[in-house]
Amino acid sequence: MNTEKTIEALSYLSAPRGGISMAQNGADMAAKVRDTIYRATIMLDDQRWDDWLNLCHDDFHYAIKSFSPEINKDMTYLQGKRKDIANLIRLLPKHNTDHSPLRRHTSVYTVDLADDGRSATAVSSFVVYQNLLDGINSHIDSGESRLFLVGKYYDTFSVEDDGPKFLKREVRIDERRLDKGSHWPI
Amino acid sequence: MVAKTHEQWLANPPLASGEWIDSRIYSDQGIFEEELDKIFKHTWIPVCHESELAKPYDFRTTSIAREPIIVTRGPDNVVRAFLNVCPHRGMLIERRPSGSFMEAQPSGNPKRMTCMFHAWQFDMKGNCVYISREKEGFQDRLTKEDVGLRRLRCEVKFGGFVWVNLDDNPVASLEDWAADAFGALRKTLDAEPLEVFHYHKAIVSTNYKLWHDTNCEFYHDFMHYHNRVTGFNDAYFARKNEAFNHGHIQVGTFEVNYDQYEGFESRAGLSFPHLPPNQWYMVDLFPGMNFNLRGSALRCDIVTPIGPNKVMIEFRGLGLKKDTPEERETRINHHNSIWGPFGRNLHEDLIGVTGQGSTTLPGSESRRVLHGRHENQTIHDENGMRHYYEEWSRWMNRMASDPSKPFTAERHVEVAAAE
Ligand code: FES
Ligand SMILES: [Fe+2]
Repeated sequence: MNTEKTIEALSYLSAPRGGISMAQNGADMAAKVRDTIYRATIMLDDQRWDDWLNLCHDDFHYAIKSFSPEINKDMTYLQGKRKDIANLIRLLPKHNTDHSPLRRHTSVYTVDLADDGRSATAVSSFVVYQNLLDGINSHIDSGESRLFLVGKYYDTFSVEDDGPKFLKREVRIDERRLDKGSHWPI
Repeated sequence: MVAKTHEQWLANPPLASGEWIDSRIYSDQGIFEEELDKIFKHTWIPVCHESELAKPYDFRTTSIAREPIIVTRGPDNVVRAFLNVCPHRGMLIERRPSGSFMEAQPSGNPKRMTCMFHAWQFDMKGNCVYISREKEGFQDRLTKEDVGLRRLRCEVKFGGFVWVNLDDNPVASLEDWAADAFGALRKTLDAEPLEVFHYHKAIVSTNYKLWHDTNCEFYHDFMHYHNRVTGFNDAYFARKNEAFNHGHIQVGTFEVNYDQYEGFESRAGLSFPHLPPNQWYMVDLFPGMNFNLRGSALRCDIVTPIGPNKVMIEFRGLGLKKDTPEERETRINHHNSIWGPFGRNLHEDLIGVTGQGSTTLPGSESRRVLHGRHENQTIHDENGMRHYYEEWSRWMNRMASDPSKPFTAERHVEVAAAE
């Protein structure tokens, strides 16, 4: 797995550059926000859950939501504070889970910095593929990728001295058909 | 005992007949078609909840046994069901899953169901109220009176669910069909209006009966870490598995210790009306519907069989209509933690039945699937499934243990074995 390389490649995006103006500062911070979203994608893909949580603020809140035209309701499919998600992650080995890894393709669309420079919001789109390992019959299905989820990340960051931290992530998925579903954060 | 030869593997197990089924009833296309005709077109199916069509002129579409259905709420507040089929040339009248007829449609007026194809219009009682260029085309040979929608038996009952029966003369009224099975929960479900807050569906490669089995048998709690740590105690093992007329069952309650699972909380503060804290009731209705009440949240599963090896399961979560936003959020969290698409148990259940689906593909060798446990009709007894399959055999006139044979009542061993 080439994760380390990928992270190195990404981190140049946010490397400090000299000759700092206000605009330059903002551009740097926007790049750091983007970088953090992409790092999160890689960590989630690699199931490095603790590393992912380390990108998050102590007050982090996570939610997966979807709107159902069937029942005409905005729905929450999963939500929790950082400690809830940490519990969920710690207990994963106790549960029986589909082994097929999920692969996220994220594109950061917008990054907006607050005027005081202490927070930021970002909107990204994602698709998640399920790379079948178990499948229905792994003899037939393993190795195939199937589209699993389509949606957007609505992220809020707290901008600390050491860079942006996820304060809130709202995962908005288009699906209400979720078949086997998943035990993992998206 | 050692591993088996082919002949030994196919031999009947040393259990009484009626304590296993032949897997062809999960895999055979002919049997599947027969099930739609003989069972699903004649039984009461809860197709949605009345809160999904809360206002006059709201509608909801669904289907039973491939027949498209539309449920509407009339200006008189009465919920009615019709085939969602235009009597003109068979167009689907409404294509969306839900909405309101208060809005005009591109080819029709407000307050009407309009078939977009040639603009015939129907009122909320299913009467045809407009045929475009009626006289010009049909003179007096066919009039609006001749072409109303096909109305279906429809009742709102047992906690506000909308029940439809495609049979105009069902074997039992809805009350007689399910009142006994809902018995212990009825006061709770009817205490005040409920509201759906959760909907999602799974389409998985397995037979619908295997999903229903999973909802009927609790022996598989070994698969759920959550249920092992919050459940396995004397009160849990004493839960009764009770059989009712028409193939339904109810699994009695006990007090779940949610706080034994790290990060989970007691649900005592938000119990459904008339229930002690943290109770867990389960009602399973023939031919494949499940009502599951865990203290603060109600779940309902409705199966729509698509093929012998394919089923759609619709999952709903319900709370009380009067919930404050905070209460509702708590109920939703409780519901999702176990039953949501990202919850702990549902994923495991769905992996379980797709695994069974993989071994019962159409054309696969016929095998025995056992349900022969006897534990005094308590939680890990499999009497619920036996009861279901006896009912199934009766409706199909086929023995579940050998579908090539006509139904004969099993000689019941329940009591003897339970001692
Ligand atoms: S098919 Fe419906 S109006 Fe012609
Ligand atoms: Fe289960």
